[in-house]
Amino acid sequence: MSEITPETDARRLATESRDRVRFEEEALELSDQVYRVARHLAGSREEAEDLMQEAYARAFRSWRSFTPGTNLRAWLLRILTNLNIDRGRKKQRTPDTQPLEEGDYFLYNKLEESNGPAQDEERVVERLSQDDVVSALSAVPHDFRDVVVLVDIGDFTYADAAQILDIPIGTVMSRLHRGRRILKRELAEEAVGATDGR
Amino acid sequence: MAVDPCAKCEEVLQPYLDRELSDAEMMEAEAHLELCSYCRKRYRFEVNLRRYVRQAAAEEMPPQLKEKLSALRTPLL
Repeated sequence: MSEITPETDARRLATESRDRVRFEEEALELSDQVYRVARHLAGSREEAEDLMQEAYARAFRSWRSFTPGTNLRAWLLRILTNLNIDRGRKKQRTPDTQPLEEGDYFLYNKLEESNGPAQDEERVVERLSQDDVVSALSAVPHDFRDVVVLVDIGDFTYADAAQILDIPIGTVMSRLHRGRRILKRELAEEAVGATDGR
Repeated sequence: MAVDPCAKCEEVLQPYLDRELSDAEMMEAEAHLELCSYCRKRYRFEVNLRRYVRQAAAEEMPPQLKEKLSALRTPLL
């Protein structure tokens, strides 16, 4: 049994302080990557900034609950998505009906219909502007958008996304599948003004 | 009723690109893509679209936000 002396106590405090500083530095180093995801989990730039500050304040407060050696970026995003869900659920009630979705070829077909067949089909995507993508993403309902943003923009695995959002992996896959379809419908709406159900 | 191979190909587009199909389903999709330029174009488009969405969505963090986050750190004693 070790005895607590002023020296061991001082050593413990020094170790803790060093670990905390290291944690904070690593968390800050990841902030660019976390922001890239947060920007689209939130509805606007301003909301993303608030969310980042709230999430980092909470992460710095609860740094002891992070297990060193595990995925810090996923841990930070779990805090952030929980905060975002709390806010989102207050502001936006889940609609009673699920959004309509089109097939996976819908966007290509719409772009081709409106501009005629491309000489080089690889360039069809260039008919979409960066603004189209940002607006279309923000129009995807929360539950679907969270998964699309984590996997397709944040580059998280299905398993990481499931853990971050605290949902089963099967739900991640089905929301991702539908979320991408909804995103394509929104992109068609942005780019060529296609309307629902056509 | 015979299954429309293009409809089937559209159905498996996402799991195909996510490498979630079984070997048999993968081979079936690839055999169809080999023969069908309609589906091939749409598959290529999807690959480019995913890349484009990731690129278009990438937004730099404002420098002042980074400063605000740093200011949230626990002060050193």
